[in-house]
Amino acid sequence: MANRGGATYEVDSRRPLLDTLREQGVDLPYGCKYGGCITCAARLRAGEVDQRRQVALNNRQIAQGYVILCVARPVGDCTLDVGVDSHDVLYRNPFLDPLAPHELKADIAVTGDVAPDNASSKEA
Amino acid sequence: MECCGPGYASPAEAMQAPRELLLYTIAIYTGTGIQKPDYLCTIDADPESETYSQVIHRLEMPGIGDELHHMGWNACSSCHDDSSMARKYLLVPGVRSSNIHIVDTATDPRAPRLHKVIEGTEIKARTDLSAPHTVHCLGSEIIISMLGDAKGEAPGGYLHLNKDFEIVGRWENSMGDIPFGYDFWYQPRHNVMVSSEWAAPNTFMPGFDLEEVGHLKYGRRLHLWDFEKKEPMQTMYLGEDGLIPLEVRFHHDPDSTHGFCGAALSANIIHWWKDADGAWQWEKIVDVENEPHPEWPIPVPGVISVILLSMDDRFLYLCNWLHGDIRQYNIEDPHNPVLTGQVWMGGLLGRAPEVNGVRVTGGPQMIQLSLDGSRLYVTTSLFSTWDNQFYPEIRTNGGCMLMVNCDTENGGMEIDPEFVVDFGAEPNGPSRCHETRYPGGDCTSDIWV
Repeated sequence: MANRGGATYEVDSRRPLLDTLREQGVDLPYGCKYGGCITCAARLRAGEVDQRRQVALNNRQIAQGYVILCVARPVGDCTLDVGVDSHDVLYRNPFLDPLAPHELKADIAVTGDVAPDNASSKEA
Repeated sequence: MECCGPGYASPAEAMQAPRELLLYTIAIYTGTGIQKPDYLCTIDADPESETYSQVIHRLEMPGIGDELHHMGWNACSSCHDDSSMARKYLLVPGVRSSNIHIVDTATDPRAPRLHKVIEGTEIKARTDLSAPHTVHCLGSEIIISMLGDAKGEAPGGYLHLNKDFEIVGRWENSMGDIPFGYDFWYQPRHNVMVSSEWAAPNTFMPGFDLEEVGHLKYGRRLHLWDFEKKEPMQTMYLGEDGLIPLEVRFHHDPDSTHGFCGAALSANIIHWWKDADGAWQWEKIVDVENEPHPEWPIPVPGVISVILLSMDDRFLYLCNWLHGDIRQYNIEDPHNPVLTGQVWMGGLLGRAPEVNGVRVTGGPQMIQLSLDGSRLYVTTSLFSTWDNQFYPEIRTNGGCMLMVNCDTENGGMEIDPEFVVDFGAEPNGPSRCHETRYPGGDCTSDIWV
């Protein structure tokens, strides 16, 4: 956990990161618990998660490495920035900084070779 | 009728009620970075009190992440003739968690206590609904607009609770072809309910992507319902004039068919009524012009986040959350509103960055008017994710509440110089304030049957 002093936790690849981290005492924000509200968003610095169930992020946010912890399951070792501290580029004024067609949410994005895969996020 | 149930026999009687001395206002930490529950504040509104204009009690919800937003009473003037009912419980839903908190405000009005929680998981399992918004009592029962299904997809529906706060089920018999839900209001003497459209929770909860308006992910219609049949009967397609129609208000006069809606993104006021031939009509009566901004490539829309009618139906108030002004219109002729007052607080245009010694972050957002029409209480936060997009400094500054004195004779508004509640100075850190209600009922809570 890059923004919590490098603390490390052992997590379960079959369960959402939010659940296994909170059980180990990590105080994380959350809201809907089904992947739709963005409150629990964290930023993946390294590794890979399976977040097929998330519906909150647009493709720009996914490309920036955001993951929805209440539904994201780790595929391997992950390095994360968590909490609102990690939200520095999550929110933007929609009038000043519009999305390109491929940056919209997956269900309406204009798909092409630039559109990232919504099923998983990878950051090197 | 002479009786002893809750509320008042008529809007005129409500206007004669004693002055509000306590306010209940929700404040949130969801989305702020502070890991504390959202809470219900009691604010002292008695000018004779030593703690006037201060938060005097905080009732924390059991967990974090609810995003408290709107709320409503278990009983109002709609059961004024039922002596077995009392306005005792405030229903305080969490939009994100779908938990509905039942708060007892009668045992100690200054220090409300939690009576019961209807868990969001139970609501989803039994009704396939989520994201509670508007609460109206319905005689002794309660209906709540739910903006999504259990997965956060539109259109959701209406949750029906009995007077003991048990889930009865879905209230509506059909959603027809309604794509989205949001606010609703009913006018029983005309057997009509009206509902408006925000978006699916999965669309609006993560924040506002403007492009999604063009992809028809946000609403642009009003719906008229056959209230007894509990099904939609007519849609008014507002189109570009009515993008994101939010709060709907019928006249308080139960014989009137006139009603109003603020279309947030179009920044228009929509007026509807039933004409002499019995047909429902609508028109645009106020069009807030977009304003230039030195750093914006396009003019800034007002974003009308709320409207409200005075109890005598003479004045309509609206907030332009992005511009930063509250307007008062005389609507005695509802087809021809006359602008009679305007005040500024916060907003993006920089007209009033500081009021009463407090830096206003956000803009005028939720409002509540005293029953006599002379005091308007205003809060500045809209919704955690949307706040974070348009007013990111609210994370460190918090929201605030101000009071506006309204001239009920000639029209006119002035910000009260004495009243300010700075939610940036809350004990657990800066929080954000949203809807307000009074123990005795207010200008958006009561309906007459």
